[in-house]
Amino acid sequence: MAEEFPFEMSPMYEGERIRKDDLYVELAGPKSKGFELVRSADMSEVEDGKVTLIGPDLKDMEEGSTYPFAMIYRIAGEGVEPDIESIVERRNHDFQNYIQGYMHLNQRYDIWVRISKAAVEKGLESLKQIAEATMMMFKNELPFIEKIEATYITDLAEVEKELEEAKKVYEARDARTRDLHDEDVDTFYGCTLCQSFAPTNVCVVTPDRVSLCGAINWFDGRAAAKVDPEGPQFPIEKGEVIDEIGGEYSGVNEAAVRLSGGMYDRIKLHSFFEYPHTSCGCFEVVGFYMPEVDGIGWVDRDFKGTAPNGLPFSTMAGQTGGGRQVVGFLGIGINYFRSPKFLQADGGWKKVVWMPKALKDKVSDSIPESIAVATEEDATDIESLKKFLIEKKHPVVETWTAEEEEEEKKEEAAPAAAPAEGAAPPSGIPTVAPMQMPSMTVSGGSGGGLKIVLSNAKITVDKIIVKKKE
Amino acid sequence: MKTIAITGKGGTGKTAVAALLIKYLTEGDNTILAIDADPDTNLPAALGDTVEKTVGEMRESLLEERDELPPDIDKKSLLEGKIYSVLVERPRYDLLVMGRPEGPGCYCYANDLLRGIMDRIVKNYEITIIDTAAGLEHLSRGIIRDVTDLLVVTDGSRRGLETAERIRDLVAELDLKIDNLYVVLNKVTDTNRERLQEYANELDLKVVGMIPFDDNIARFDLEGLPLAGLPEDSLSVIEVAKIAEKIGL
Repeated sequence: MAEEFPFEMSPMYEGERIRKDDLYVELAGPKSKGFELVRSADMSEVEDGKVTLIGPDLKDMEEGSTYPFAMIYRIAGEGVEPDIESIVERRNHDFQNYIQGYMHLNQRYDIWVRISKAAVEKGLESLKQIAEATMMMFKNELPFIEKIEATYITDLAEVEKELEEAKKVYEARDARTRDLHDEDVDTFYGCTLCQSFAPTNVCVVTPDRVSLCGAINWFDGRAAAKVDPEGPQFPIEKGEVIDEIGGEYSGVNEAAVRLSGGMYDRIKLHSFFEYPHTSCGCFEVVGFYMPEVDGIGWVDRDFKGTAPNGLPFSTMAGQTGGGRQVVGFLGIGINYFRSPKFLQADGGWKKVVWMPKALKDKVSDSIPESIAVATEEDATDIESLKKFLIEKKHPVVETWTAEEEEEEKKEEAAPAAAPAEGAAPPSGIPTVAPMQMPSMTVSGGSGGGLKIVLSNAKITVDKIIVKKKE
Repeated sequence: MKTIAITGKGGTGKTAVAALLIKYLTEGDNTILAIDADPDTNLPAALGDTVEKTVGEMRESLLEERDELPPDIDKKSLLEGKIYSVLVERPRYDLLVMGRPEGPGCYCYANDLLRGIMDRIVKNYEITIIDTAAGLEHLSRGIIRDVTDLLVVTDGSRRGLETAERIRDLVAELDLKIDNLYVVLNKVTDTNRERLQEYANELDLKVVGMIPFDDNIARFDLEGLPLAGLPEDSLSVIEVAKIAEKIGL
């Protein structure tokens, strides 16, 4: 098939850069306008193989100059539906880069194309040849496309007109993409980029949970895992749903065991108090539980002061980081505040009592109007925070009285009873694991009991006595 | 394909050596990629180029705008486009400036993307010349990989050679797998020539060239003229050409 074209097509030309010296023409890019768009259509609406060019063709173009450029493909087939448009559109970049002497960068309205002098010397004379070659690759590689036709535009007015239409399509697509949730997919993605500093970190990226560093969303994980499934981002099959609200899945738990070297076997993606996500050290924001108000405060890396608990970001980050699951502290990416599942196991925003003003302003659109979150302007310590919360009728205040009553009742019933070990928070005080050495971590699980993991340990002991506390 | 990194203590003239090497190479048939990996960013001026934006700024802009981007945008492709847009294209060479160092946030992901992009860019050139500070920052992070030769430029001081020794240790410690490490003695005069060579021998450092103190460079520096415009008969231009031949360029 390739013999028809005066150029070669092969993955080996991917990443081929066309320098200014070697340039015949530049299309779209930072100095001009353009876009690429794939639309699905009915079988009857698409004339297979047809190419329409609106505007000057290569041979009419002045060497060394830049022209606007739009590529619109209409595809049809039994398996073709609007949802796959963006996936097919992304492949235009791959296929066109297989063409020798043709460079394609970016996507959507940021596309940037260069055609080399050498390609023109070898016989490339029309953009129609590029369109035909690209469509051939589309059909070969994506057999569900039964019919495809292309419209290429190099006329500025026409590009501008069609660009407005294209932008509407992109916006509608983005709205659909933002509406994707954990329950809509079978696969989450893991990332091990942080494991060099946080060897037991289990980073799980889902549609409703961005990575702790804030840089990787579910789509980034999917894109990277597709290119290199053995790379730092890889798929995690969800498996069975164990706790839908808390976000616990059998597949995630299995991955947790594998990624943490056996340190953790349960993770609830949307919980602060029960088997929370591990915290790496790269997280953008750290959350901290304040038992005095039964609420969670958040502090981000950019905040230089101390939180109402008296600690700055750096101290809490140090206590939390390293890939550990620490009940009472949690590292997250800023975009997780915008998730509809934000800590839904704990009541979400109803538990949030404090955050620095700059951070609050960033995510203010996601904070329910009924909830007043204090900032450093309202409260700098526990006392002033309590006052603020009472004054603003924050939902946590209701839990205070309920708890006090409960405690009183308890005291009446069994005044001497000691609280059960590992009692489930939120009534528990956040404690950093009591015995910590570089190669040894002991953490009280919230289900009671104790787990000890020793890795690469050499221990010599004459005698150990373990006694139940009288 | 060769990748040559030029480093040394500040003020030794490493940027001058890098610029003269680029000048020499672009007179031949090669296509060169010049990378200024020193946050001090002196290479563009030495080549007579102006650079508006840096790779560091592009990486930063990706991190800043990421929450507003379409969720499924291909960030690697986006960053690649951004980096191509800051590449300065000159006849026979392209220039990329790394620019600002990292801020306090997490760069794991952005650098991972950048690593892949840099690998792809470098493959397009026969020779890559990198001007880098003695800490070898972008090399240590693996952003620029597969350096074949490392030239450590030293001035007429003992400390310059001690820096070379430390860089050799750093290369071993970082496990950078560089094929050759050479020392270029710069600003050499008749009075220090012998002693410098002796001291280099003591430290077991391989001297690949001795660039005499060059009045032309001093004059160009004072006038703020690009060193790439030095006359062909300048002592430094002649010596750098010899060094290039010795290291197989």
